[in-house]
Amino acid sequence: MKGLRIALPAGTLLEGACELLAAAGVAQLDANRFERELSVTDAGCVFVKVRPTDVPVYVEMGACDCGIVGKDVLWESGRECYELADLRFGLCRLVVAAPRDSPLVSGVWPASLRVATKYPESAGRFFAARALNVVLIRLHGSVELAPATGLADCVLDITATGRTMAANGLVEVAEAGVSTARLIANQAALKTRNELVGALAASLRRAAAGQRNEGAA
Amino acid sequence: MRGLDALPTGAGARGRADGFTDWLVGAAASRRLLTDRFIETFESWGYGFIVTPLIEPLDTVAAGVGAARQSGLFRFMDSDGALLALVGERTVSVARVVATQLHAGPFPLRLCYAGPVLRNHSHNAGRRRESLQAGCELLGATGLEADAECIALAAAALEQGGVHGVQVDVGHADFIPGLLESAGIDGDARDGVLAALASRDLVSVEASLEGTDVADAERRLLLAFPTLRGGREILDTAASGLRGERPLRALRELARLWDLLEAHAITDRVHLDLGAVRDWDYYTGPTFEVFSEDSGFPLGSGGRYDRLLARFGDAVPATGFVLHVDRCHDSAGRRDGVLSAQHVLRVSWEGDAEAIALEVARRLRTRGVACVCDLTPGESGEVTVSNTGARWTEDGRDESGSIDAAVDALARRAP
Repeated sequence: MKGLRIALPAGTLLEGACELLAAAGVAQLDANRFERELSVTDAGCVFVKVRPTDVPVYVEMGACDCGIVGKDVLWESGRECYELADLRFGLCRLVVAAPRDSPLVSGVWPASLRVATKYPESAGRFFAARALNVVLIRLHGSVELAPATGLADCVLDITATGRTMAANGLVEVAEAGVSTARLIANQAALKTRNELVGALAASLRRAAAGQRNEGAA
Repeated sequence: MRGLDALPTGAGARGRADGFTDWLVGAAASRRLLTDRFIETFESWGYGFIVTPLIEPLDTVAAGVGAARQSGLFRFMDSDGALLALVGERTVSVARVVATQLHAGPFPLRLCYAGPVLRNHSHNAGRRRESLQAGCELLGATGLEADAECIALAAAALEQGGVHGVQVDVGHADFIPGLLESAGIDGDARDGVLAALASRDLVSVEASLEGTDVADAERRLLLAFPTLRGGREILDTAASGLRGERPLRALRELARLWDLLEAHAITDRVHLDLGAVRDWDYYTGPTFEVFSEDSGFPLGSGGRYDRLLARFGDAVPATGFVLHVDRCHDSAGRRDGVLSAQHVLRVSWEGDAEAIALEVARRLRTRGVACVCDLTPGESGEVTVSNTGARWTEDGRDESGSIDAAVDALARRAP
C-alpha cells in the first residue's frame, strides 16, 4: 500500500482509525504523534490529520487517495467519493430529541417545528420525507441548549451514549440514522491506483470484522 | 494594507463570480492550443465540427442530464416565460441538432464540438462552474466498431494534446442491470442497489443485498465491485457461474470490443471495469472513463446512448465521448506537458528606422515568427535595426549584418 495518501479525521474517530490501521497491518500509527505534526509518513503512506468535515473534501479533490470518516459527515458533505467499506467503529446515531414536556415525546408531531442542528442536509432529508413544515436553525455546537433557551422546539443531533442529551433534559423521539466510520476513496485513485486502494480496503475490512468479533467474545 | 473590515464585501467587490476563471496570457493560449489539438485530431478522423448554442430550453437540457440534476444548472426565464438553461454538457445539443435537422443522414454521421459548459456548484467548493468541453458523437451506427472508434479517438486526441499517462476504463451499462435481473432482484431492492452504485456507496450495495436471496455467482460479482477490473481475462472470471443471458451478452460485447481495441493498438492503456457505469438511464451499451494519476477527476468519459435521440422524435443509435479540456490542461500542466504559447520576438529600432523595423516585423510574421515592434525608438529588443543594418543575438553571440541577413537568421526561430 506504499504511496497512498490517506486523510484521517481529527477528534473522536482518530484513535479508532489508528488502532484499525495498526490491526490491519497498514501502519503503526499512534494518535499522539498527530499532536506534534499534522502529516505523518509511516510504512510508505502519508497520513494527514484534518477536520472530519474536510476529509471528503481532500478525497474528492484528489489531494488524498483515501480517507476515514464518519458516515454522519458523508450525509452532510455532498462530495462525490466512493464509500468502500464500513469500518464498524465510531458507532453513533443521528436522532431527533425534544424536552420531556414536548408533545413530540408523546408521539404528536406539530404542524410546524423549529429544529436546531449541526446537520442541515440530513435534517432537510429526514423532515422532507415526513412532509413536516420545519424551520431549520443551523448551529455549530452545544445544540442541546437550543430547546432550553427557546431557540428551537427540538434538536437533530448525533449521540453516542445519550448522556449529554439526558443531562440537558432531552428525550429521543426518533432515529434518523446510524453512523459508523467509513473508508472512502477518490474516484480516480480507485482506478489509477486500483491495486493499492483495493488492498487497503480488503485489509481494513478484515481487521474491522476481526475487531468486532473480538469485542463480541 | 487596509484591515479586512474596511474592504468591500460580496462577489461584486471581487468583480468575478466564485467558480469562474480569468485565463491570462500564456495559460489562456495553452488552453486554446490544447482545444485546437483535440479538434484537429477529431477532424483528422473525419468528424465535422459544429457549434451549438450556449443556452437551450430547460426541457432540452433536462433530456440529457435528467430531472435530478437540473438543480445543478444555471436556469432562468425567457421574456415569454419559457424556462431556459445554460448548457451543462453538449451531447444533448448535438442529439437535438441531429434528430431535428440532420435526420436524413447520410449515416453514420461523425460530428465534433468544443465549447464552455456551466454548472451551478455551491460556492467555495473548489470546483469550476464554467469549464471547457470538447467531444465527438458518432451517430447512426449500432456496431461495436463505432464504440471502439470513439475510445481510440479519445485516446488519440489526448496523446496529440500532450496529455500523457492516461488510462481508459471500459465498462458496459447493461451488465449490472442485467445481472440484477438474472439474479431475480427487482422492485425496491433493484432500485436500492442501483441508487447505491450511482452514488458510489458500496457499503449500501452490500446492505441492500443482505435482504435478498441472491445466488452466489451474482452476489460475488455485485460485491466484487470495484475489483472486477483488468484485461480480457476478467470477462471469463465474471462469466463463470452466470446463467442470465442479459449479463452474458454484455460480457460478449466487451470481449468483442476488447479485440477491436487491440486492433486499434490501444489496449496498453485500457482496463475493462465491470463496475464503471453509473448513468444507467442514459447509457445503453459500452461506456468508458479516462483517468490520469495527475487528476482526481476523470479527464473524459463517453459511451453508447441509443435512447437519447428518440426523445427529440427520431430514434438514431449513437455513441460518443467528451474530454474535459480544463482537467486535461491541469493534468498536463502537472507534468510540465502543457503546450507552450508561442515566443514573441521583439524588434527595436534606432533613429528614424521605424519603417524598416515594421518591414522586418512583417517579413518575420509571414515566415511564421510572432513578433512585436517597439512603439518608441532606442530600446533593445532581440533585434535592433538602424538605417545601416541590424544587430541581433544568436545562440548567445552578438551578430550584425544586413536586414536580409537578420530576417533569414531570425526566421529560423519559427516554431
